[in-house]
Amino acid sequence: MSTDKRNKRVAIMVGAGYIPGINAVVAGAALSAGKLGWELVGILDGFEGILYPEKYPNGGLIDINPQILNLDPNTGSVLGQSARVDPFNVRTINELEMVEEVDMSDELLKKLKAEKIDAIISIVGGRGMSILYQLHKKGLNTVCVPRSIENDIASTSVSFGFNTALTFTIDMLDRARLAAKAARKIAVVEVLGEETGWIALQAGIAVAADAVLIPEIPVDLKNVAEHLKNKMSGKKSWGLVVVAQGAKIIHQKKNEEKVSSLKASLSPLATGDSNSEYVINKSGQAAQAVAEGLQLRIAEETFPMVIGHWVRGGAPSAVDRQLGVAYGAGAIQALEAGKNGVMVSFVPPDVKFVPLAEAINKVRTIQAESMFFKVANSLDIYFGKKEASI
Amino acid sequence: MKTQTTNILEVTGTVLNIQRYCSHDGPGTRTNVFIKGCSLRCKWCGNPESIRLKPEVSYDPKKCDGKKCSICLKAPFPEGGFYFAEGDDSKVKVNWQLASRVSSEIASLCPTGALEMFGKTMNVGEVLDEVEKDSSIYRNTGGGMTISGGEVMLQPDFAAALLEEAHNRGINTAVETACNAPWSFLEKVLPHVDTMLHDLKLMNSERHKKWTGVGNERILANFKKAYETFPDIDFIARTPLIPGVNADEEHIRAVLEFIKPHKNVIDYELLPYHRFGLGKYESLGVVYELDDYKTPSDEVVKRFQVMIDEAFGRNK
Repeated sequence: MSTDKRNKRVAIMVGAGYIPGINAVVAGAALSAGKLGWELVGILDGFEGILYPEKYPNGGLIDINPQILNLDPNTGSVLGQSARVDPFNVRTINELEMVEEVDMSDELLKKLKAEKIDAIISIVGGRGMSILYQLHKKGLNTVCVPRSIENDIASTSVSFGFNTALTFTIDMLDRARLAAKAARKIAVVEVLGEETGWIALQAGIAVAADAVLIPEIPVDLKNVAEHLKNKMSGKKSWGLVVVAQGAKIIHQKKNEEKVSSLKASLSPLATGDSNSEYVINKSGQAAQAVAEGLQLRIAEETFPMVIGHWVRGGAPSAVDRQLGVAYGAGAIQALEAGKNGVMVSFVPPDVKFVPLAEAINKVRTIQAESMFFKVANSLDIYFGKKEASI
Repeated sequence: MKTQTTNILEVTGTVLNIQRYCSHDGPGTRTNVFIKGCSLRCKWCGNPESIRLKPEVSYDPKKCDGKKCSICLKAPFPEGGFYFAEGDDSKVKVNWQLASRVSSEIASLCPTGALEMFGKTMNVGEVLDEVEKDSSIYRNTGGGMTISGGEVMLQPDFAAALLEEAHNRGINTAVETACNAPWSFLEKVLPHVDTMLHDLKLMNSERHKKWTGVGNERILANFKKAYETFPDIDFIARTPLIPGVNADEEHIRAVLEFIKPHKNVIDYELLPYHRFGLGKYESLGVVYELDDYKTPSDEVVKRFQVMIDEAFGRNK
């Protein structure tokens, strides 16, 4: 694969996990590539279109022509989607009809070369970026577009997909607040945010929540309960608590599942602690734990709600549509400038290019000096501490 | 004879661990030998560390000393495999994409044991010496050794040697298997088995493929052939009971119909779904694919158990 400026054949692909409005990134890349006279093709379903073209009646690559591109924000990505996108660990069924994971990275690079693809634009999240970094080290020319609902990718102010998720979450919190008001209860709403609390904090500010619990600030529910008790001692008869999925609740009793009758075939490393901080899929557990924990401590009723996967559908927000187009165009600009192994980064007012080695292994968390904390403090939003700081 | 015994003792395989005093995996009190490698990818798997055939690195943050140590941030650990999150240097974080190929030699450099290998190569002699420690307990309880996994049929030569040597030492043998392997593999293992615990996860092949990765045609054919070829083995059918997947009467009925004609299938056990294995997924950097499923209620399990007891003529 070459990196000179002749007419290039560039491919674009999407990593695992759905985010609304990916067509905007594709459109930005297509328009920008078209202007340069470059050819843009889409790889269907992650890398499956290139690894298994026989699965598709017309092959696994599609021409991305700006004229035919459907930019309707309500449609899914023209590039499709794959549940897992890791050429180093491709799940296959071997000749003995047994399932196994095999490294197909060499095969992938060979097939890209055979298709005369000069470079790949990869719309990926944190894990996907590490995969692309590995491929880049093996010789792949790539430019990554950061994509994250949680906005946890470092080296960029905002990842594609975050604003849409935030907009939807605010809408849902407005509804939850009305429900809490009508029922005279405390709504405890779990929002996405495993590593960082950007959605919880910014959405919590937008709806003036009573408390926001985020991974960055370990929280003792005793303090939150006290805060809510004080707030609800006057005229206010309802409450709204926003809790990020990865919130760290301290001094919380863990729900131990009974072990004895369930031990068959279970290796000795298993524990009875299904609520451990090491459990990956915790959807709903944070809301449940906080709602129960608060209800046990104050004379108010609570009800848990989980936004979860709802944020992954629908149309992109106006901000994300603009950002997506800019990121797509930015990726082509990077290739035009001879960049390779970089992530397009939006650092207002500029679009920059950050080496992948610097972009991976950094989680964009909320820092103590964040102005969002100052705003939240002025709104009397509680974080489990008197003053919101880390 | 001496030469043959020596050969058996030297056969090696990849063992995950050996667990003594088990009471749920075959008759009496048993020692479970968990071996690595599985040919299915059940979404509810409680032993994810047994899935891959080769030893693999795991990370327990509870044991990590963070910045005080930082050894894994430098060579020979892979570049970018370990790092600190912004503002938190109390524990390292793992980039599993870059760290997954850490060898046992490199993992052993971690002074706190936070990095450990799941799986090690052992020979039959080493395994049986450990198993034999509880021989008196086996004699008193009717127990013995159970090979679990993973999938026992994925290491057929090692499993066969382990089982044969157990018999040589007068130890009762059992295997836990889903039998997704060629018959030629089963043929090596089954002659040395006293009890075979076998999983009937889903009777509909399309749904079996959805939840485990492969269809069930060969599995069911293997079971039937095993029932018929090895009449002296005690077969115990099992179903991991997953609400929303197979925890319904139709599945239980279909399993009972399948096993009923075979008199050497002496029981059918239900294994209610649980989430005890979840913590292990994160220690391996593996995504748990099943969503928020709950353990089936006691009432549901009891209802199915009544159906099973009726089928086996155990009505009280």
